[in-house]
Amino acid sequence: MANVVPLDEYTGEWYPGFRPEFLASPFIVDGTGPFTKDDEDKFWFLDFHWSRGLTPLAAFTWGQDGYCWGTQHAAEGLPLPPGRGVTSRFAGTHLYGSAIPETDPREIGARANRLGTTLPRFLQNYQQTWAAGRDELEATWAYFHGLDLAQVPTAELPGLLDQARRYHKRSMEIHFDVMYPLLVNFLGFYGACAEMGIDTADIGKFLQGEDTKIMETDRGLAELAVKAKRAGLRQVFEDNEGSAIRAALSAHGGSASQWLTDFDDFLQVYGHRQEATCDVGVPSWIEDNTIPLDMIRSFVLKETDHDFEAAARNAVEEREAAIEAARSGLTREEQAVFDAGLRSNQEANFPWWQDDHNYYIDLKVMIPLRRVTQELAARVGADDRNDLLHLFWPELRAVAEGRAYHGELKSLVADRRQYFDHWGALRGQMPKVLGTVPETVEDPVLIEIFGLNPASIRAMQNPDAAAETTLTGVAAAKGIATGPARVLQSSDDMHRLEPGSILVCESTSPSWTPAFGKIAGAVCDGGGMLSHAAIVGREYGVPTVTAVGVATVAIADGDQIEVDGTNGKVTILKRASEIADAAADGEAAG
Amino acid sequence: MTGVLVEPQEEVVGTCSESIVWIDQVDTADAVAAAGSKIGRLTELHRAGVTVPQGFAVTVDAYLRHCAESGLDARIEAALKDLGPTPSEAEVAAASARIRALVEETPMSPALEAEITEAYEDLCLRAVDVNVPTAVRSSATGEDAADASFAGIFDTYLGVSGPDRVLTAVRACWGSLFTGRALAYRLRKGISHHAMPIAVGVIELVHARASGVAFSVHPVTGKPDRIVVETSWGWGEAIVQGLVDPDHVEIGKADGRVLRYDVAHKAVVSAFDFAAGRVTEIEMPAKLADRQVLDEEQIGAIVEAVTAIEEHYGYPVDVEWVIDRHRRAGDPITIVQSRPVTVTAQQTAPAAYDPVALAQKFVFSGKPIPGR
Repeated sequence: MANVVPLDEYTGEWYPGFRPEFLASPFIVDGTGPFTKDDEDKFWFLDFHWSRGLTPLAAFTWGQDGYCWGTQHAAEGLPLPPGRGVTSRFAGTHLYGSAIPETDPREIGARANRLGTTLPRFLQNYQQTWAAGRDELEATWAYFHGLDLAQVPTAELPGLLDQARRYHKRSMEIHFDVMYPLLVNFLGFYGACAEMGIDTADIGKFLQGEDTKIMETDRGLAELAVKAKRAGLRQVFEDNEGSAIRAALSAHGGSASQWLTDFDDFLQVYGHRQEATCDVGVPSWIEDNTIPLDMIRSFVLKETDHDFEAAARNAVEEREAAIEAARSGLTREEQAVFDAGLRSNQEANFPWWQDDHNYYIDLKVMIPLRRVTQELAARVGADDRNDLLHLFWPELRAVAEGRAYHGELKSLVADRRQYFDHWGALRGQMPKVLGTVPETVEDPVLIEIFGLNPASIRAMQNPDAAAETTLTGVAAAKGIATGPARVLQSSDDMHRLEPGSILVCESTSPSWTPAFGKIAGAVCDGGGMLSHAAIVGREYGVPTVTAVGVATVAIADGDQIEVDGTNGKVTILKRASEIADAAADGEAAG
Repeated sequence: MTGVLVEPQEEVVGTCSESIVWIDQVDTADAVAAAGSKIGRLTELHRAGVTVPQGFAVTVDAYLRHCAESGLDARIEAALKDLGPTPSEAEVAAASARIRALVEETPMSPALEAEITEAYEDLCLRAVDVNVPTAVRSSATGEDAADASFAGIFDTYLGVSGPDRVLTAVRACWGSLFTGRALAYRLRKGISHHAMPIAVGVIELVHARASGVAFSVHPVTGKPDRIVVETSWGWGEAIVQGLVDPDHVEIGKADGRVLRYDVAHKAVVSAFDFAAGRVTEIEMPAKLADRQVLDEEQIGAIVEAVTAIEEHYGYPVDVEWVIDRHRRAGDPITIVQSRPVTVTAQQTAPAAYDPVALAQKFVFSGKPIPGR
């Protein structure tokens, strides 16, 4: 028996007048929550990563543990001298972000001194640091993956919920602990290149051509498409869409059975993937086959197979040519700086990491929490296994601890589902910026990744945005393309993209990558030179304009548009309504 | 000094006096005092082995004696007295015009005229030419700093040929000591014009195929790892006066590699007007306007000369150079002027890739990254 020294006599009232909130001083600077009037003096931007909106559980776990904790933890750890990370607020179900500035000059100086030690140390040890973080997360992932949830005693579910939440929170610590210094090093190199007169549009090319887990996934999908065609299954893919493909293949039997086995094997490796960043509310590919099957379908229906090897070769050739061209214009002294900077950034490759880490973190780490929540839902007799995603964390914990899930809580969930749908439908009308909007932001993360440059900030405040027919943005990937616009709210709608159409969306993330194999061009509201759309657009040679600010407002689905990715211009050539009228006239005449 | 060789002079024509000093004859130690900094530095360059045009200077001493003996001093003094302590711009301009007219009208003593004429004839003999065209250049005295602030303020006449025109041009150069800008500067600083007398160089006009300026550091950013050359066809006046958009060339100092060559549309050219007997600005022939001026060999020769001059002085320089129409590959280029460079920014070449310093500069400075 362990010896327990009771401490009861030391509990109870403390100093006279003490209240618990006197010591409630969490590490983070500022947590999430709904907007309050006090927030008006800050600058808030609608974060394009979560265009579907977030359920209560997703809003809490991501908004608090990821967005606030992860960034603020890393901003202290590195530290970032003038910034303390970002914070989040919700307008309905939609997440807005805001950078937290550090303004005390002495504190900034002290933090800069610390950075002087920590950044070189990080860069020296980056490979091991990232490998260790990845291994740690993969080990925890393997633990959850190995659990047979159906066999776990109900009494252990609260603990599992805590563990799953902790896994996500820890993944966000690792995520931002790596991302901030990588980004800082990259932007420093970027600045040095710009100052040496190197065309900044070429800087992304210097670091391209490295294989990532995301590209590996795309190749796997393409290989499955080739297998399907070889197995004579083209017709099945042509006649069906989404999850119906699976049913049709099962019914088809024969070669289709083998194909489905291969597909499921593929999913066991690459299918633990949600189509959103750390959103517990979204199913994985294994849970819902719609997205991977539609991706394969689009590969099957393409006339020519996408040549991944040729694309990879081109990326490498383009990289080497860009490096050579840049070096030739530098003095020998500058070449030494450029070469060292390039080596440092090849070793600790931010654009590569920006893609690759999604496989290990963003697209996967919410799956355990989702599964435990679904298991709990099954055990408490919820009508839908996703009901409990509409609880806040303390409510969920209470249900896991035995609080009954019926009556009040159940009707609350029904109301919250309605609330979620209501706000989801309003996404297109959400203001892109709120609060005190500056003319320019100075944080390079907001500029280069979010695309919040002075032009896009101006565009976002244009009350007549919906009537504009010429738009400008960041010339992210060169070339000109013309085609019908497909305005998509999220990657859930990706099946609506036909070959030759032009993707218009708030922003893209790795789940959108396969779309670049068939679209003619891309236009995004957000995203700078280092955004996913810009990087993938360049790799796939798809003319892309980002940081337009109001593309999803000004462009309607079906509009005929021109994307000039060389000059950062988007022109609406003909409105969908005019095209429809003309067609109607034609029919009437005919 | 490497590579820049001087042709040995077989027969020396022309001797130095109190009024006349020859670029290749005067003692380096006395050159700047006697011939002003512009011409004096040509002597220094010549001694250092740099190819400079031949010519002589009408000395500071000659100018001072002329002012005293002709009564100019008193008349200038009288014109300046009228100005008062804080004259208006218009008053300064009026005084400037009055004094310049006085200086240009006042004849030289017959002895000085004879000396200058003889020196000019010796220059013709040296060039084996009749009425050799010359560049008549003001060459002020004073500190380098003052020299820099007066850069381009005093007159230069290109293509002056024949003794009478040379004498007129010398007087005009003297007069340019009293331009409105120079007067205003001296009044502001409380400097007497006696404190900065002027010499005038009379130099054989190099028949220019192309001319330009060259800086041994970047003139704007101050980056010391490169040489910057700006050039156009013909004489350099159009470039120096900013009348033409010149070709822009940057060369790495460490390895002489051309880093960039931006060919400009050169709309104007300084060309020799045979009727007027001087160099003047005319429209650039269409076929030359967009043509690249310099080839790699020529760039190499310019770099060699500029590097040698910077090494000689031990500080960054800005030079005017000319490529003679008769220059062949391998020949040196001709330097017509050199002075300490004035840069707006002091920037040292980056020594190493320093991620912390770069982060502070570009990520945490609160300023947008350049080029965005």
